Amino acid sequence: MRRALRWLMAACVAIATTSAALAADLRPLVQTMGSGGYSGTEKALNQLSDAGDPAAVPVIEALQAGDLYVRKADGLVVIARKVGAGYALTDPLSGAALGEAAAGAIDRIKVNNAMRRAISAALGALTLMSPDPAVRRSAADAVFKSRDANALDALNTALAKEKDERIRRAMEQARAAVILTAGASDADTQAAVATLAGRGDRDALALLSMIAASGASDTAKTAAAAAVATVEQKLMFWGALQNLWYGLSLGSVLLLAAIGLAVTFGVMGVINMAHGEMVMIGAYTTFLVQQGLRTYAPGLTDLSVLLALPAAFLVSGGVGVIIERSVIRWLYGRPLETLLATWGLSLVLQQAVRSLFGPTNREVSAPSWMSGAFELGGLTITYGRLWIVVFAFAVFAALLVALKRTWFGLSIRAVTQNRPMANAMGIRTARVDALTFGLGSGIAGLAGVALSQIDNVSPNLGQSYIIDSFMVVVFGGVGNLWGTLVGALALGSLNKFLEPYAGAVLGKILVLIFIILFIQRRPRGLFALKGRAVEA
Amino acid sequence: MRTIQQTMGRGMTGRVATFGISTLAGLAMGALAGSAQAADDTIKVGILHSLSGTMAISETTLKDVMLMLIDEQNKKGGVLGKKLEAVVVDPASNWPLFAEKARELLTKDKVAAVFGCWTSVSRKSVLPVFEELNGLLFYPVQYEGEESSRNVFYTGAAPNQQAIPAVDYLMSKEKVQRWVLAGTDYVYPRTTNKILEAYLKGKGVKDEDIKINYTPFGHSDWQSIVADIKKFGSAGKKTAVVSTINGDANVPFYKELGNQGVKAQDIPVVAFSVGEEELAGIDTKPLLGHLAAWNYFQSVDTPINAEFIKSWKAFTKNDKRVTNDPMEAHYIGFNMWVKAVEAAGTVAPDAVIDSMIGVAVPNLTGGYSAMLPNHHITKPVLIGEVQENGQFETVSKTPGLVPGDEWSDFLPDSKDLISDWRKPLSCGNFNVKTGKCGGKGT
Amino acid sequence: MLTRFFLMGLDRKAGLVLTVLALLAVLVPVMTLIVPEGSPWHVSIFTVSLLGKYLCFALLALALDLVWGYVGILSLGHAAFFALGGYAMGMYLMRQIGPRGVYGNPILPDFMVFLNWKELPWYWLGFDHFWFAAIMVLVVPGALAFAFGWFAFRSRVTGVYLSIITQALTFALLLAFFRNDMGFGGNNGLTDFKEILGYDIQAPGTRVGLFLATIAALALSYMIASGIIASKLGKVLVAVRDTESRVRFLGYNTESYKLFAWTLSACMAGVAGALYVPQVGIINPSEFAPASSIEAVIWVAVGGRGTLAGAILGAVLVNFGKSYFTGALPEFWLFALGGLFVLVTLFLPKGLLGLWAQLTARLPNAKGPNAKGKNAPNGNTADQKGM
Repeated sequence: MRRALRWLMAACVAIATTSAALAADLRPLVQTMGSGGYSGTEKALNQLSDAGDPAAVPVIEALQAGDLYVRKADGLVVIARKVGAGYALTDPLSGAALGEAAAGAIDRIKVNNAMRRAISAALGALTLMSPDPAVRRSAADAVFKSRDANALDALNTALAKEKDERIRRAMEQARAAVILTAGASDADTQAAVATLAGRGDRDALALLSMIAASGASDTAKTAAAAAVATVEQKLMFWGALQNLWYGLSLGSVLLLAAIGLAVTFGVMGVINMAHGEMVMIGAYTTFLVQQGLRTYAPGLTDLSVLLALPAAFLVSGGVGVIIERSVIRWLYGRPLETLLATWGLSLVLQQAVRSLFGPTNREVSAPSWMSGAFELGGLTITYGRLWIVVFAFAVFAALLVALKRTWFGLSIRAVTQNRPMANAMGIRTARVDALTFGLGSGIAGLAGVALSQIDNVSPNLGQSYIIDSFMVVVFGGVGNLWGTLVGALALGSLNKFLEPYAGAVLGKILVLIFIILFIQRRPRGLFALKGRAVEA
Repeated sequence: MRTIQQTMGRGMTGRVATFGISTLAGLAMGALAGSAQAADDTIKVGILHSLSGTMAISETTLKDVMLMLIDEQNKKGGVLGKKLEAVVVDPASNWPLFAEKARELLTKDKVAAVFGCWTSVSRKSVLPVFEELNGLLFYPVQYEGEESSRNVFYTGAAPNQQAIPAVDYLMSKEKVQRWVLAGTDYVYPRTTNKILEAYLKGKGVKDEDIKINYTPFGHSDWQSIVADIKKFGSAGKKTAVVSTINGDANVPFYKELGNQGVKAQDIPVVAFSVGEEELAGIDTKPLLGHLAAWNYFQSVDTPINAEFIKSWKAFTKNDKRVTNDPMEAHYIGFNMWVKAVEAAGTVAPDAVIDSMIGVAVPNLTGGYSAMLPNHHITKPVLIGEVQENGQFETVSKTPGLVPGDEWSDFLPDSKDLISDWRKPLSCGNFNVKTGKCGGKGT
Repeated sequence: MLTRFFLMGLDRKAGLVLTVLALLAVLVPVMTLIVPEGSPWHVSIFTVSLLGKYLCFALLALALDLVWGYVGILSLGHAAFFALGGYAMGMYLMRQIGPRGVYGNPILPDFMVFLNWKELPWYWLGFDHFWFAAIMVLVVPGALAFAFGWFAFRSRVTGVYLSIITQALTFALLLAFFRNDMGFGGNNGLTDFKEILGYDIQAPGTRVGLFLATIAALALSYMIASGIIASKLGKVLVAVRDTESRVRFLGYNTESYKLFAWTLSACMAGVAGALYVPQVGIINPSEFAPASSIEAVIWVAVGGRGTLAGAILGAVLVNFGKSYFTGALPEFWLFALGGLFVLVTLFLPKGLLGLWAQLTARLPNAKGPNAKGKNAPNGNTADQKGM
């Protein structure tokens, strides 16, 4: 958006300096954009972009942003931006103010997908010479995608002037794509093939295989075929790495979901069926925090997920402590009863959330630093997943430190290992129990914050993770945090490696069968607790 | 124990049973058999939508819209001079419980009509009950077709009222040549994809340009599948995804699409199960331009729709509540039922079933929908693109109304079947080749 | 021999259970078929089917209690055996539809026709005969349980590990049956049944017949279970529950004992499923859902683990509550049901029958505190670690 504004200003300056005659030529074209529905607008848009005049850029950008309107009174095409209850109108070409209008007095010019494509292509061709390097870069990418033969001249001019090495490369690739699509001399084609082989991604592969199969000369074809083979090999290698990344990312989601359970179930022995609901409460807390920030501090919305972390930990942890104090504490030594009671609690919590927030999904939007993706070699890594992986490991490390290096952790271990002795040593076991359950629930709440970024925020959220969580904890070995870590990553990777071959459903079935068979080999999970306590 | 007695104790008549089971048997019979006294001054209408469990997310809204419609009708004086009374039950997304609750509504509460169900399996589960007890069911959701029952009125879209126009649009306007048919593994996506596959092949699309992918219910890790779609889409031909992904799985799917940067300009996704309600749970900015095919959008600009939205927001006392296609289907179905009952002068099922056919009521998109002899209705088909505000903008609308086709012409076993519940044919699966009714006639 | 086996289990409680069942078996048909409609004593067909359903669940609970209450194996996957039995029956009922399906195909069920299947898959063969289906109702769940138990018990998988892999088993089956490629109708499952053994499945007479069959199955299973428990075999099973290692050291092959009880229990669950399907009219994969298995565990716990009558009572009571509340309190019934589970756990640790035992123990002529629920697990030994 900021970029668009900057461009708008630059364009305004440009309009002021360029001859008024050019702008006058565009005016009838701009005017036709307002008529003829989608196809009429699209036709005018194409003519506007063919004119090749940068003065058209603000018009096209306004169209893209949905700010281009038709004034009902006289059919004039204007740019309108919301001001209070009405709209402030400006002339699309000159930028001159045209007064205000009520919402009912203007009609928005609608945009559909075909037009969005045309807009990208047009902006690409028209902004290749922009002073902003980022704009030039995206312009080059847009031309690469559109392969618009009309952009060739602009590309050549831009290439001659371009200093930035990376943008030059992008422009050369775009030029190669245009050349290959439009057809050119043998030498040119081969040079283009070489450029694209250097790019080496799926888009390049598509173009190259097109050439390899097309009516180009034999030498060009052979070159293209060779390039296809290298690119394919490269892609296969990256594909395997990509799969590993998917496995890691699914594994860390499983880890997050299971790690709280590793405390309440693994350490305390409570068969906590309400664990999923703690995750859900964490997700709803994120929703509330985000809503609150949107209303009271819109500037901080991007930080809502961060702010939600302590909130979710406290809310879920608090609910956990309440549950422990009111229900679980009567049930120590009777773990089966905890299954029954926590199942009941999970029903109540689900329905409570449903009554409070309604049964439908709630929107938790991703902060800008968690949206989008970046390329790492041939890998596509989405920021959201990357942060979740980092977060999962951070939570794991923090929990490990808390259990192994703090007084509280020492108390937890003492109480779970020998309750009467811990009591005799002056540890307030009741308080430790409550805090431990609170800790496990709080961590589940943290998982909820992360899951709100990739899954539904609905009353059913917890249900979809509870079974997987139990599988992970049991597979890794109850009572062993490292087991949970390894278990989650192993099951996640296994699932992702099976998926391409067996499909999502069969893959999951195979993972379950693997767990069943694995438990036969190691009846106490991956990292079994040793000693007499196990047999009791 | 006291608490339990208090909660369970409506049927317990003082006498403390000596043994639990006998108490219980008495209790069960007392509560289930005894309390069936219907007041004669009202007409009961059953609402059979899940209010808990996995489907509550979609179905609760439909319960609310029915309550609103009944409330409004009562303000207009009810039906046949009697007030309507809503009987709400919760089948809890549990399919056998749907059948049980349907039976309860029809035999115990003696409702005149039932509005309900969402999933195909819930409809299949209650179908024998409605046929046995001769009840009336209004089913408001788009579905796979291949069914026509005398006791059911299908007010949602059949595949030809949603899937085929959407594919036509993509082919003509977006010039799509390569297709990913992605769906949840159950009968609606299976059937729809089967129909689409036959249709696309009929249009000259080659085998290697169609990719079919099924995922389990509630699938939440879409990384590999979205990457696969990108891969499939980078083969040089314009590619689109036809999504019949169901309910819960959509949010993570769209989130992944947004994150991996699958833009509608490059690979548009057209969905048949994603409406305003589902989008309310997603940040739609990255989804700009992805498509959905329905028979109604909240954004449709007609006076009757504006009125409907206004009263919906007032009824739910929530300015943010959205409206969607199945709600319109209930709106149409309910008004049709009212009209048919008034024409028949009674709520007796047989009379109402007969007078339903041919009834036409206004739909919310500015036209009239009519009940066809096959118990499906006529509807316009709208294609919409997702906007940043979570609404759809109509980019294409069929010029006329499309009649619902229950037996698809693109499946080999059903292309010869038709349904016509008018006398004397009165058959749900009449085979025009053999001239025989396939066993569902009367 | 066999008579003695059955008589052995017949204590006072068993007598009561069987009497109640017998009363139901006599009264319900009379009140349904003979007492005219409109009479306050008339029982509607709807109620009969509902009671039949509860009793099927009771049979499942009984089967679960046999392994959980007496052998200490907490199965979180018993609904899998129930559903397999149900599918076996469902397949028979599907074949009985014959050419009356919507496409009129005499051999293939409708869902196969529209998935373009050309012939019946091999595993559907034979299901057009009732006797074959009836055998399969026992054999399929039994064989699966036998194979599963054979491996699991031999590997000495116990406690929570065993519970979770039973859950993995039912979850895997759930996903498998969801797949339309499996040939079991996918998510829609099997439905729209017409007749069973030539009788119209919707006719009141058939429904009463099914109800009576359920009662008979429940009574028979009850007698078998209580016979086993009273026998020497039962004593070993309870000993295995309390301390398995000690029994093993005494020279018993505990695996075989467990395997026997486990397989028998799975067969009973299969029968329950088979009787359930014609009465509710549909079988679909959601029966495999881990939640259904957990619910079954809860029925047993509510009624009283380790008491066969308690399992039956719990199943009927909880399901009646579910039927009643979903109609009476559609928006709030989960609060009621969830709250019930919490309260029962907190205040009735031995379930409803435990309460009964406690109440009788307080009477002056009772046998003293140790006598209460002599078969009920002691809690401190069996439950110390895991399940």
